[in-house]
Amino acid sequence: MEFLSEVAAWFTEPGRWIGEDGILPRTLEHLWLAILPMVIAVTLALPSAVWLAHRRKGEFLANAIVNVGRAVPSFGLLVLAAVFFARAGISLRFWPAVVTLVALAIPPIFTNAYTAIVTVPPETVEAARGVGFRENEVLWGIEVPVGLPVVLAGIRISFIQVLATVPLAAVLSSGGGLGQYVVRGFAQGPAGLVELFSGALLIALLTVGADWAFSIGERAVLPEGVKRLALEDVKAGASVSLQEG
Amino acid sequence: MRRFIRSRVFGATLLALMLVLTACGDGSGGDATSTTAGGVETTTTAGGDTSTTAGGDTTTTGGAVDGPAITVASFNFPESVILAEIYAQALEANGYPIERNLNLGSRELIFPEIESGAIGFLPEYLGSAIAIGFGESAPTDPAEALQTLTDLFGGIGVTVLEPAPGEDKNVFVVTGDFASENSVATVTDLAGAGDITLAGPPECEERETCYAGLVETYGLDNLAFESIQEGAARVAALDSGEIQVALLFSTQPVITEMGFVALEGTEEIIAPENVVPVVNSEVAEAYGEELATLVNSISALITTDVLLDLNGRVELEAQNPEDVATDWLTENSLLGG
Repeated sequence: MEFLSEVAAWFTEPGRWIGEDGILPRTLEHLWLAILPMVIAVTLALPSAVWLAHRRKGEFLANAIVNVGRAVPSFGLLVLAAVFFARAGISLRFWPAVVTLVALAIPPIFTNAYTAIVTVPPETVEAARGVGFRENEVLWGIEVPVGLPVVLAGIRISFIQVLATVPLAAVLSSGGGLGQYVVRGFAQGPAGLVELFSGALLIALLTVGADWAFSIGERAVLPEGVKRLALEDVKAGASVSLQEG
Repeated sequence: MRRFIRSRVFGATLLALMLVLTACGDGSGGDATSTTAGGVETTTTAGGDTSTTAGGDTTTTGGAVDGPAITVASFNFPESVILAEIYAQALEANGYPIERNLNLGSRELIFPEIESGAIGFLPEYLGSAIAIGFGESAPTDPAEALQTLTDLFGGIGVTVLEPAPGEDKNVFVVTGDFASENSVATVTDLAGAGDITLAGPPECEERETCYAGLVETYGLDNLAFESIQEGAARVAALDSGEIQVALLFSTQPVITEMGFVALEGTEEIIAPENVVPVVNSEVAEAYGEELATLVNSISALITTDVLLDLNGRVELEAQNPEDVATDWLTENSLLGG
């Protein structure tokens, strides 16, 4: 109980929310460190995955990306990027984390998008071709809309992972968004327990909040028919994230 | 096309493998340095005030010495293991019955064992033993610190032997170029070096023995702080000039490898961290003066430069600590024969 009141005191300290090291600027820093890598990763992974899946090519590539993505330790990559960027004279505050997070973000986006297109029911695709759809129309009119829930699920998984990994960046600099509280709290031993806990709590809240916001956005984006389809027809290999129509 | 993709996959797999390997390397390296002297302390090159006996004339008796087995322990970083091996092998060569219990974790776990006698011998560090082991504040004066440690260990039935001249303490380092361009040799000189940044682990910012102490005690208003916990990144940032001063340990071989300069004149804020062997008092009494004399004669040879060299053999040349200890003892004719 005493611990919780210390945490409460931490949250209400003067200058805790605004100020240079305040929660609001740290949260913005955290979001920026997550959103930029996501934009880059989506730009890189989505078009290539959709195109390769449409042509039914690159299964090897898809598999390799999943496996490599699972094997690469973010921390190792981060330190490697840091040493590399430092040699190039670039600040450790930002880019090492961005590069690491892009690498972390790509595999779920790519594989979900690939799986989404490949697992669109072949009879649907053939029917479209049968009634005279051109290749482009098959892709944009059938495969992409039908696969969209799975594509979005990939982006969402990726975003949550990235948000939860941003704190690692705090071992490299005084940045790292809300992770700075955790790293600094941890470094102080028992004296830093309150800061460590508060930071972890904030990161958890931010991540859960982002997940919730994403699911609302998802519902707004999806076509009605696809929502219904996604509900009745949960396709293999993808975690469908729609709860209701 | 297929062939192209295959070679890509192979390349990607290789890359992944490489990353995994580097990650492992970084991990262990980081651990080692972060435990090295968790506290934060310094002093002069405590050169003259320790040695009792010179190296060569150790009591190299061939026969076994009667008495209880001495369990030699170490912390879980390479330097501590090397030191433990040096003392263990030297004692063995002189006929003492030795057991090893190396790579142990924190002092909370080790101190009760050495009090009970389950551990007989441990190479400690002067300031850290006081600050972290006993939770007292370590005096910055070497003689005073040794007295404090002797009293504290005396209270739990442990004898403190002579400290070695070598120290594994926190040092503030700059690059060779920075030192010559700004004529910087001591921390006080930093005042004239313009707007500069010190990088250290996060806890450094608020500590009197680190950033806070530099600003308050030496009046370095021009010094900013950047938290870089990961050691390799800190070294890279210093080398590239992104930061100008970095907190490292005095025995990290990277200092000599990269031509960094460790700044002098930190005695006011950093306590001495000489290597100091401590022995369970029952063990010490069972073997008497002879054991102490032998150990002290070895300690006298362990300078900071020796520690840098030994750490370099393990960390840069990837030799194993046991062999490094044997080689060093042989080079100094301490294994008898």
